[in-house]
Amino acid sequence: MNDDQVKKGVDEVFEEAFEISPDRLKPESKIFEDLGLDSLDIVDLIVALQKKFKVQIREDERVRKIRTLDDIYQFIIALKNAGGFSQS
Amino acid sequence: MKRVVITGRGVVSSLGNDLPSLMAGLAHGKSAVRHMPDWKKYKGLHSLVGAPAELKGEKDIPRQVRRSMGRLSIFGAQAAKQAVEEAGITETFLTSQRFGCVMGSTMGGAEAMNDAFELMLPSLDLSQLSAMSFFKCVSHTAAMNVAQYLGIKGYVMATSAACASSLQALGLGYELIRSGRQDAMLCGGAEELHPIVTGTFDILFATSTHYNEDPSVTPRPFDERRDGLVCGEGAGVLVLEEYEHARERGAPIFGEVAGYSTSGSGSSVSQSSREGMQACIEDAIADSGLRAGDVDYISAHATATMQGDQCEAEAIRAVFGGKVLVGGLKGYIGHTLGASGAIELAASLEMMSRGEIYPTLNLGKVDPACSGITHVQERLKREIRVIVKNCFAFGGINAALVCKKAED
Repeated sequence: MNDDQVKKGVDEVFEEAFEISPDRLKPESKIFEDLGLDSLDIVDLIVALQKKFKVQIREDERVRKIRTLDDIYQFIIALKNAGGFSQS
Repeated sequence: MKRVVITGRGVVSSLGNDLPSLMAGLAHGKSAVRHMPDWKKYKGLHSLVGAPAELKGEKDIPRQVRRSMGRLSIFGAQAAKQAVEEAGITETFLTSQRFGCVMGSTMGGAEAMNDAFELMLPSLDLSQLSAMSFFKCVSHTAAMNVAQYLGIKGYVMATSAACASSLQALGLGYELIRSGRQDAMLCGGAEELHPIVTGTFDILFATSTHYNEDPSVTPRPFDERRDGLVCGEGAGVLVLEEYEHARERGAPIFGEVAGYSTSGSGSSVSQSSREGMQACIEDAIADSGLRAGDVDYISAHATATMQGDQCEAEAIRAVFGGKVLVGGLKGYIGHTLGASGAIELAASLEMMSRGEIYPTLNLGKVDPACSGITHVQERLKREIRVIVKNCFAFGGINAALVCKKAED
């Protein structure tokens, strides 16, 4: 999986789990302010990302620093580069 | 005591997702009971029939409200919205502390519970659980979700008494308005069809198992060939409102709640008793100030279990004698459990408005054990002025509500 595939996968999570149209998904989009998620949604965002990328991130402290969509891209890409997940 | 009237009705049922669709199905004698082939995978489940409703229009509910709703809460929210719209409730009134909500269900969201346990139990791992699992599972899921959806700020409560849940919700709403604590309330119940729900009855030999290949002929209330209940799903919600308040704002009035009672039979966890049912019905009639002879139509609980139907027929005969008309709707839409009281009352009120009673579907030859009362076996044109709605539930719990035609 390359970086673009990771970004596409993250975007799919937002489209499928949170019904956000693709045109609103920009790297600089803020998760709360621009995409309209709230604290309860963050729990389900973590669950959806875990399922999508077969990772365990609920206990990962870096999750707390995420603010924008690009923060998620970079977080997942970092996990991938560290060999932290596998997906067919 | 204040008078309480019904000013709005909402229904989601296996015969359609509003009251007119349900009534059209009843008028055409349609059965919504289907063979459920996917249930074959459950070992020990013998009843492979159910009456599913169609989940549709759910995206009309905003995602952040809908995310905490399982199937039954969506049905409940849709029925509640219909009832509010029919009643012509303003946003200001709906969101005032004088407007409340009581919604019942048997056990909360069966599907959500099943999904949560399937995720969690194999490896005792909670990390995949959605934040919404709890809100979809809990016994007050319908009440809280309807309240969130509509912004209700008055009383918000859940009744949980299995098949009597929605009639208890209506009874509680009646008492809160009658005593002056609320001006109006959304009251009813919601339920979802799921094999673990049917299985609950199945292991107690209470389900229909002989008509899996011919589903439209079951359940058979009061019939000599009845063999148990068939689970259904949906929601029924009524707006109960204080009479003067309804009159003042020119609301439509579909009937008046005249009396109510709920009671325990104290004899068995799995079923009520003839004596318990009779005592509850008599108490509801006494509460209404009417006499048994004033009642024109009984909307029976009539689930088509061997014992339950017989006890109910005996109780009705003991209270009313043989002349009162008795009908049941579960042959059409199955047993919607915690929603049944409200769905069946909404349909009965509409029958009262039309002056027309639809027969008990699948009642061919009356079981001698259920005889001595006047079963409705064909469509009747008849003025109905007073209805009694019965519900009897696991736990030996009885509920009966008396409604009369709206009058000045």
